[in-house]
Amino acid sequence: MDHISEIREFLKNLLAIRHDRQPFNDGTSLFLSGRLSSVDAVELVVFLEEKYGVDFAETGFDQALIDSVDAVASLVRTAKAVD
Amino acid sequence: MNTVGSPAQAERAPQAASRLASFRLIPRIDTYPAVVSFAQTIAGKLVLLALFGAGLAYTIRTLKDWLLLTLCLALITFFPVRRRLLVTVSTLIFTLIVPWRAYQNPVYVSSLVVCVIALGASLFWFAARWPRSWYGRRPAFLFLCGFAVLIVVAAYTPRGNRFNGILWDLTQVLSAYLWFICYSLLDRNAPGRDPVVLQLGTYRPFWGSTHTPFPKGAAYLRRIEARDSQQFAVIQLKGLKLLAWSILISLFGTFFNKCIYEYLKIPTFAQALGLSANHTPLPWYMCWGSLLAGFFGGIISLSVFGHQVIAGCRMAGFNALRNTYRPLSSRTVAEFFNRYYFYFKELLVDVFFYPFFFKFFKKHHKLRLVGAIFAAACFGNAFYHFGREVSFIQQLGLGRALVGYQVFLFYCILLASAISVSQLRHRKPAPPGFIRGQLWPSFLVVLFFCLLDVFGATERNYPLAEHLRFLGHLFNLNF
Repeated sequence: MDHISEIREFLKNLLAIRHDRQPFNDGTSLFLSGRLSSVDAVELVVFLEEKYGVDFAETGFDQALIDSVDAVASLVRTAKAVD
Repeated sequence: MNTVGSPAQAERAPQAASRLASFRLIPRIDTYPAVVSFAQTIAGKLVLLALFGAGLAYTIRTLKDWLLLTLCLALITFFPVRRRLLVTVSTLIFTLIVPWRAYQNPVYVSSLVVCVIALGASLFWFAARWPRSWYGRRPAFLFLCGFAVLIVVAAYTPRGNRFNGILWDLTQVLSAYLWFICYSLLDRNAPGRDPVVLQLGTYRPFWGSTHTPFPKGAAYLRRIEARDSQQFAVIQLKGLKLLAWSILISLFGTFFNKCIYEYLKIPTFAQALGLSANHTPLPWYMCWGSLLAGFFGGIISLSVFGHQVIAGCRMAGFNALRNTYRPLSSRTVAEFFNRYYFYFKELLVDVFFYPFFFKFFKKHHKLRLVGAIFAAACFGNAFYHFGREVSFIQQLGLGRALVGYQVFLFYCILLASAISVSQLRHRKPAPPGFIRGQLWPSFLVVLFFCLLDVFGATERNYPLAEHLRFLGHLFNLNF
């Protein structure tokens, strides 16, 4: 599974825990729209740190950075490029 | 008798259920294409403003405030290109001109407000200008430390002289702007950050707020701002809907209070606590009655206030999330905290949780999470409330005020512990069935927050022992 599919799957599971079964595409806003909360953001952050080595202490954290699949994928690409 | 319905009946049943599920007391006018198109025309804007103004007239009691607020919203509605600048101008009008007559000494108070706003603007400018400096790397943290030092200095300078009085007044005004300035300092390094002038529009914006910024700071406003006329119309229609909803809840709240306090004659929580402290407690069921009434009354009043503020914000073209959203449907303690007072929780998360979480114990996941939760829900929560009650500190002195805070500190520790447990438990989808999956967990969460209110809904008049005594009375334990 490529990293975009993994991210998509992870976000889908987070939404499922919140009973949110509405479809979303890669550009759909998930945090700023209120579909996911800061509690979910923490889970996503830990996932990104452990899986892809993203270090928010370096970049600074902002929910906009992880607001959609596209945004997360771009963050992961940047982290991989730095590695 | 035939118990099986006809195929047509079987087909109609789910249709009826679906219709019932999609029924809204207030129609979803923001999803009707014809309404959205009309709201973009001049006539539509005027109708929208008239309806919103009529709703505001119910919530705002003074004609001058109503007129000015409606005028500010009208300007933003007709000149959306200049929205952010108009927000700043409107905010300054509502900060300095609208309350002028209400102040006992308007020149003095306005001077203090101008000083605090200038301080906030300077701190933001310095942090943005020198981001790598000692201050520029941690401006919000240093600003909060500075505020704490100011309280200590005010508390320990000799009382009764003019300087001490000014110091306390300045601390009072600064406390009202503390978290607004904090948010603007957090925005210092954001790409496309707003200049100082636009940051000022977020310092107690004209649509209203408590000490908690509604809705957060400039960075958030940039993201939720309407990008085109269609979005603007949809957001305004959502604002109108929310205002209508707040009025309905407000009417329900009036009915609720009449039923509880006038018809059933249930005493308020403060009265029940007072009687318990005087060793003349009410029967256990009346204690429960006053606690539950206070708890649900609190949810109703917070919903009404939050909805009115967010409705005004949406009317100005910012698609802000609601402050209170179905808290009683929460299945976990953390979810309730998120749904009950969203912007307060966001403040604690942005200012205390994330800085801790990204800095400490990165190799120890559980310790890191619990530490960050305690930094936010315990320390941050206590700091927010203590810093808000400057007159309480001035009256009692720092030492006695801190001792008087024991009950709220206990509340914060309980809250942070419960959120930690809630977050450490493995999150999984709800079990099937309405009762096991939704009703039972929601009941337990509401019960927990209700009991927690024994320590949270306090005017700091009684020591912890009296609150524990009241808790005992709830279970018919008299000691």
